[in-house]
Amino acid sequence: MHRDRLISQVGPALMLLVGLAFVVGSITTLELGSARRMGPGAFPALVGGLLSVLALVTLIRNVRQPMGWDQPDPISVLAVAGGVIAFAFLTPLLGVLPAVVVSVLTTSSAVPQFRWPGRIALAVCVSVAVWLVFVKGLGIPLTTIRGL
Amino acid sequence: MELLSNLALGFATAATVYNLTYCFVGVFLGTFIGVLPGVGPLAAVAMLLPVSFYLPPETALVMLAGVYYGAEYGGSIASILLNIPGTPSASVTCLDGYPMARDGRAGVALFSTAIASFFGAIFGVVVMVLLSPALAEFALLFGPAEYFAVMVLGLVAASVVSTSGALRGVMMVCLGILLGTVGVDINSGETRFVVGMPELRDGVSLVVVAMGLFGISEVMVSARGATRSYATERISMSKFLPTRAEWLRSVGPAIRGSAVGSFFGTLPGTGQTVASFVGYALEKRISPRGDKFGTGQIEGVVVPEAANNAAAQTAFIPTLTLGIPGSTTMALMLGALMIHGITPGPRLISEHPELFWGLIVSFLFGNLFLLILNIPLIGLWVRLLRVPHYYLYPTVVVLICVGVYSIDNSIFDIWMTLAFGVLGYVLRLFRFEPAPLLIGFVLGPMMEEFFRRAMLLSRGDPMVFLERPGSAALLGIALVLLLATAIPRRFLPWARSA
Repeated sequence: MHRDRLISQVGPALMLLVGLAFVVGSITTLELGSARRMGPGAFPALVGGLLSVLALVTLIRNVRQPMGWDQPDPISVLAVAGGVIAFAFLTPLLGVLPAVVVSVLTTSSAVPQFRWPGRIALAVCVSVAVWLVFVKGLGIPLTTIRGL
Repeated sequence: MELLSNLALGFATAATVYNLTYCFVGVFLGTFIGVLPGVGPLAAVAMLLPVSFYLPPETALVMLAGVYYGAEYGGSIASILLNIPGTPSASVTCLDGYPMARDGRAGVALFSTAIASFFGAIFGVVVMVLLSPALAEFALLFGPAEYFAVMVLGLVAASVVSTSGALRGVMMVCLGILLGTVGVDINSGETRFVVGMPELRDGVSLVVVAMGLFGISEVMVSARGATRSYATERISMSKFLPTRAEWLRSVGPAIRGSAVGSFFGTLPGTGQTVASFVGYALEKRISPRGDKFGTGQIEGVVVPEAANNAAAQTAFIPTLTLGIPGSTTMALMLGALMIHGITPGPRLISEHPELFWGLIVSFLFGNLFLLILNIPLIGLWVRLLRVPHYYLYPTVVVLICVGVYSIDNSIFDIWMTLAFGVLGYVLRLFRFEPAPLLIGFVLGPMMEEFFRRAMLLSRGDPMVFLERPGSAALLGIALVLLLATAIPRRFLPWARSA
């Protein structure tokens, strides 16, 4: 129970940090200007200040009535992030289509019921569809397969 | 007559083979995506945003709008057949639509949905035609202070509908505004908050934020939840046409639903979900058969569908005439316009009449497509729902990656999308909804501009926002709205006994 309460404060605490970071960043690195002629730092400092105040209010209110939070699902996050990371790494190396295939295979590992034949079939279908829509249909210059 | 010549201009723009094709593609894809539970109009529009950059602005907007109302319509199909709303606004349709389907009257429910949606949409379009030019003319009187106040109102309205509370909604709006300040400041030319990354000089791209927050994080949340296909029951399609009595009973509800929907659609932040709920509640109270609602009454399908689709059209009024998006999806539309170099606002109608009137006429065509497309395709959508769900998620992830990459061939953007995906996921875990963030992100830079200009004109006196009656009234409404939701119910004497 105690731990739950503490974790539910992480969200507002993060907001407070972000708000303060923008306030400090605006004041130290940017010109604030005057009320009449505002510098580039004035508006972000104001909004950052507002965010910090609201986050503080939330933190205090949360002590009495803690807001619930959801359990993260690490497998799902890893599989989806893995798919994006695979795409980001493989596109410059091998081209878009191989990256698409690996990305689909990675992301689909999130669901245990999804068997290999289905995953491979989906990977092939999606890469053909990407080629048809983006390269043939819209004529976007993408390196489909590097070295081809 | 001016209206006729405007509409003629609209026809000339919309009725080209090119634009009609993209309108059709948009409506079709939108319905397709809307039928799939979990992926709503927002994700659909976000995914097609990069594609629209390769089209001329009118065509891009026509297609995105088609996706949007197509998805709204598609959402009701899943509601009726499976009791699973494809979009939040379709959840009301479940109440009577699903019992109808259980009675073997799914065909009738889907048919009346198609007709009611069409009727509601046309009603909304007519309201838009009549109201937009007048509103735009009125908005020309606005100074920077009023613009700032309208935006504050829009942002407050967007955050009070957040289910986790207005306070958290406003915080997300602030976060969105702050993210919008990253990059070069237009007034001084100074770079802000780029933290040593030269790629951030132009700011964070809207596509990256939208795809990360709504695409990637949505997939992370739902990928493992839905492992089976939903459609297990057989659906009887023997009858499509409602009886004569049902036709007659539906006329009144259709008109009332459309009127309620048109009204709520124009208000920032409320949108279709509120419209369909209010329409249903109102009809239940005034209909002589109201006590039977919820058991499969045709009125219970007609009202929310008419309301929802009328609201989907009138939501474009504030977006296009004031530049204030009423919903997150509208914020994306606004972003799409700005990327094409068109500033939405009161001058849009006079400066880009072909775009505005072309869009309106395309609504007519698009809804006609929906009507003729959907009645024969109902069988196809039913079959689509039988495909296991998990085929969908890897496809969405890849489409997001390719879509983001295709804009600038930038790997950096992919990493940013991932970062926003993880951010959105963490925010959701702690009950912060990402939708207000996106609206803040789109409106933030404009707000800053108007705020600084107003302060310059008032010689640094912040009272300008309260001294000008227009802006004072708008800020007052925003404050009342905020207080009405922020004060806990136990402090309100009239709500305590309820």
